[in-house]
Amino acid sequence: MSTALQATGVTLRYGAVTAVSDVDISVAPGILHGVIGPNGAGKSSFMDALSGRRKLSAGTVKLGGQDITRRSVTWRRRNGMARSFQKTSVFGAMTVRTQLDMVARKTGEDDLDGIVDALSLRPYLDEVCSSIAYGHQRRVDIAMALLGRPTVVLLDEPGAGLSVEESAQMFDHIRALCTDRDVAVVLVEHDVEGVFRVCDEITVLNLGAVLASGTPAEVRAHPDVIEAYLGSEA
Amino acid sequence: MSTTAEQVPSEVPATDPAALLAPAPVGSGLDRRTVLRGLGLAVVVLVVGLFVPDVISDPTNMGIATDGVVLGILALSIGFLAHRSGLISLGHTAFYGASAYGLAIATTSWDWSPMQAIVFAVLGGTVLGLVIGAFVVRTPGVSFLVLTLAIGQALHQLVVQDSVRETTGAYDGLAVTWGADDKVAGIAQADIGNAATFWPLAWVSLVVVLVVLWLVGRSRFGRVLEAIRENEERARFSGFNTYVPRLIAFTLSSAIASLAGALFALKASFVSPDTLSFVTAGDSLIAAIVGGFATLVGPLVGGVVYIYAQSELSDSGNLQLFTGIALVVAVVFLRGGIVGAVTDGGRKLRTIVQTRKGAGR
Repeated sequence: MSTALQATGVTLRYGAVTAVSDVDISVAPGILHGVIGPNGAGKSSFMDALSGRRKLSAGTVKLGGQDITRRSVTWRRRNGMARSFQKTSVFGAMTVRTQLDMVARKTGEDDLDGIVDALSLRPYLDEVCSSIAYGHQRRVDIAMALLGRPTVVLLDEPGAGLSVEESAQMFDHIRALCTDRDVAVVLVEHDVEGVFRVCDEITVLNLGAVLASGTPAEVRAHPDVIEAYLGSEA
Repeated sequence: MSTTAEQVPSEVPATDPAALLAPAPVGSGLDRRTVLRGLGLAVVVLVVGLFVPDVISDPTNMGIATDGVVLGILALSIGFLAHRSGLISLGHTAFYGASAYGLAIATTSWDWSPMQAIVFAVLGGTVLGLVIGAFVVRTPGVSFLVLTLAIGQALHQLVVQDSVRETTGAYDGLAVTWGADDKVAGIAQADIGNAATFWPLAWVSLVVVLVVLWLVGRSRFGRVLEAIRENEERARFSGFNTYVPRLIAFTLSSAIASLAGALFALKASFVSPDTLSFVTAGDSLIAAIVGGFATLVGPLVGGVVYIYAQSELSDSGNLQLFTGIALVVAVVFLRGGIVGAVTDGGRKLRTIVQTRKGAGR
């Protein structure tokens, strides 16, 4: 099986604190890979490490077999790696249309209408982005990450700050886009049940290290996960 | 990676700005009709403006108008950078002053024709802008402001050194003199101090600057600048290089400041260290803010108002006091400056009138 994203030994230290410790991940096209873990498990740091937002202390990141560990985020985006942000990151003063159009041109997207409809953004196209509801802005953020057919998309807590229904819808959107566009998606998420519902593979982080990884069924059955994460209810 | 090759933007079929999302009334952008309309308006403004000296017969007022336009061009350069890139510069006097000195040295010391000297001065100021910009645009925010201030002040210190008195005249400044037979835009040196004679040169420069800034602001490049200003990290994570566009904006801005500097030196036939002083840098930034740099003509209005206020109030010795009050009023009460307040007021008035009309029916 070919891999779109392969990271080995990813380690990230802030001074004396090790946020991410020797984490491996490998994701194939069309696969939705969830990363879960309690608060402070290093999920967001792991995302920053993969996306190039922070420099790795150790380890390598490969995109389609090519080592991109030292590449800039601009380079990564132009060559197939995109991400969204936990704290929604959009161009607030621009209309939704303007910013999607701009990024679509930059990334060479050929089906902007498809993305707009897949994320139900059409009613908000001519609104100034900062004026629409948070959940809609969230989808703009994710739309921008999907434009230009990236091969790897990293989504940092797409459900954060959304209502239960919005969050469930968001996961359905992501699941569909992942399959339809044959893109490797890494989904860092707080909402554990959502991840078990839509993901093909799951990695559980705890204290910056991998606790377990595999299919949802394997992970759910893993004794360490039951012990440390899901608690007695599982 | 074959998929990557298919993704390069150049392979996307060339489409007009509105085609990607149909139907798409694109709010900003440059289609041919918009450009033609803008250029048409510019030509009308250009021609009408040339008759200003016929309307303003008083030489003092004409002097205010001309000086106001020159300061306005400097304020436009600063306002453009502030508006499009969010970069507040306190060092644009570096380019303004360097260009003024360049013009003085080229004409007086090297005996160049004034036209050659203008080209030299503006190019020199622009190259200086490119070099300085390469360092300073890396650090936006307060550090940018402080760095530009430092560079402007360093240049000021440089020209007043005794060791360069031969070249710059130190505190005495330099006279701008050129050959009796040479003319710039049909103006001989003897007549250039006459505001009405100098006016066409200033006015044409101004209209050209306005057209360039308008086109850049509405272009796709302008949109990228706005994106970088809004959210630089998102811009980088969307595949945009964020350094080069900012550097281009800075260099364009320094070119316009250089043009203002060359015009100033020509008109005054004299340059002094004042062109590089902190006061000039502050005044031009204040003109941009008071006029309102979020609009195209705001900084120009600010420049003209500033020069007018200077002529009216400087006798009282309290010019800086009134400047300070104007700045406070503009920042606290007139968000968007004078022009912003006027357009806002106009919009509100129209809404009220329309509501009344609607209610009357």
